[in-house]
Amino acid sequence: MPKLRKRRLGFVLDMTPLVDITFLLLTFFMLTAKFKSEAESQQRFTIVRPQATADTSRLPDKDLAIIKIGIDTVVGDTSYYYEMTNEADWIQVIASLEQFQQAGQGQHVRQLKVNLTELNELVRRTRIVRPTTRFAIDADRRIRYKWVEDLMEVMRQNRATIFNFVTDRRPPEQAPM
Amino acid sequence: MGVADFGGEAKRERRGGTRRRKKMRRLRYRLDMTPLVDIAFLLLTFFMLTTTLITPQVMEMTIPPERTQIEVRQSELLTLRIRADGKLFYNLGTDAPQPISLRDLESLAVRENVRLKNRLITVLKASPNTSYGQVITVLDVLNRAELPITEQLAREGLRRERRFAIAPMSEQDEQEIASL
Repeated sequence: MPKLRKRRLGFVLDMTPLVDITFLLLTFFMLTAKFKSEAESQQRFTIVRPQATADTSRLPDKDLAIIKIGIDTVVGDTSYYYEMTNEADWIQVIASLEQFQQAGQGQHVRQLKVNLTELNELVRRTRIVRPTTRFAIDADRRIRYKWVEDLMEVMRQNRATIFNFVTDRRPPEQAPM
Repeated sequence: MGVADFGGEAKRERRGGTRRRKKMRRLRYRLDMTPLVDIAFLLLTFFMLTTTLITPQVMEMTIPPERTQIEVRQSELLTLRIRADGKLFYNLGTDAPQPISLRDLESLAVRENVRLKNRLITVLKASPNTSYGQVITVLDVLNRAELPITEQLAREGLRRERRFAIAPMSEQDEQEIASL
């Protein structure tokens, strides 16, 4: 009898494979995790993106200038917002503009609320600082098309003729309309 | 062990027993993995719950650098217009604009592009008052039509060259579709 009890107490589950898998998954999720950028954490609106058919083209994250058109959640008005992923370029672009330097107090601000003339200036400066910068338009699907039309005119004036519309994937079973 | 055991066997057992005991003592050293596993699972759960695997995708758009007047044949021009309420109208050349659903738009784009063998120019004019989402939906339908067009043209030995433009909506455009 005492022998039997001993055997039961000595039962050990081999945790090694479990721990192996856990760490594997942990590493995977840690490496693929993408945290909110500083610019995103500063914004006061959420963008309901338009949906498009699933595509393989993804938003590049290097040297990207994003022009957001969002509806403020508090006030409810639409506005343009400008941000860039390359921090060094962003500082350069901002440094050349006095009105933003004052408003933003240097480098802490990563996203600027701008109007069309300011946007024109920013796009122009960005093109000077780094001509290869890619542009993305991340607009809310509920806004009036006029906002995008005006923005495209600004892009045209600055010869930034290739840009991207940011969209969300449409679930495959959901056909348009 | 037992009294009835043979001497030799008992000896061997004893010897084996002592040896095993010695080995076991060395092996029995065990690191308590519980806190490690706890933390690992905690982090795993955190990263699994906070991660978003769906990254936004992009739709590339190219606009002509300048507003230049290019003369095109009316018969090779497909005009799509989106009214302020989101309704879609199309006309070929100088035909009268007709309403069209998004579903039919895809087959229309395929049919006309294949019929005119790459020469068709599609112009999209959207009312400034329509929603941006609607414009993207129409662009998406046109993008989806590209695959069958490319396939069908390839069958005829042609390479697909897309001719597409976004143009602002004039007042005349708006009047033409206002009452439809």
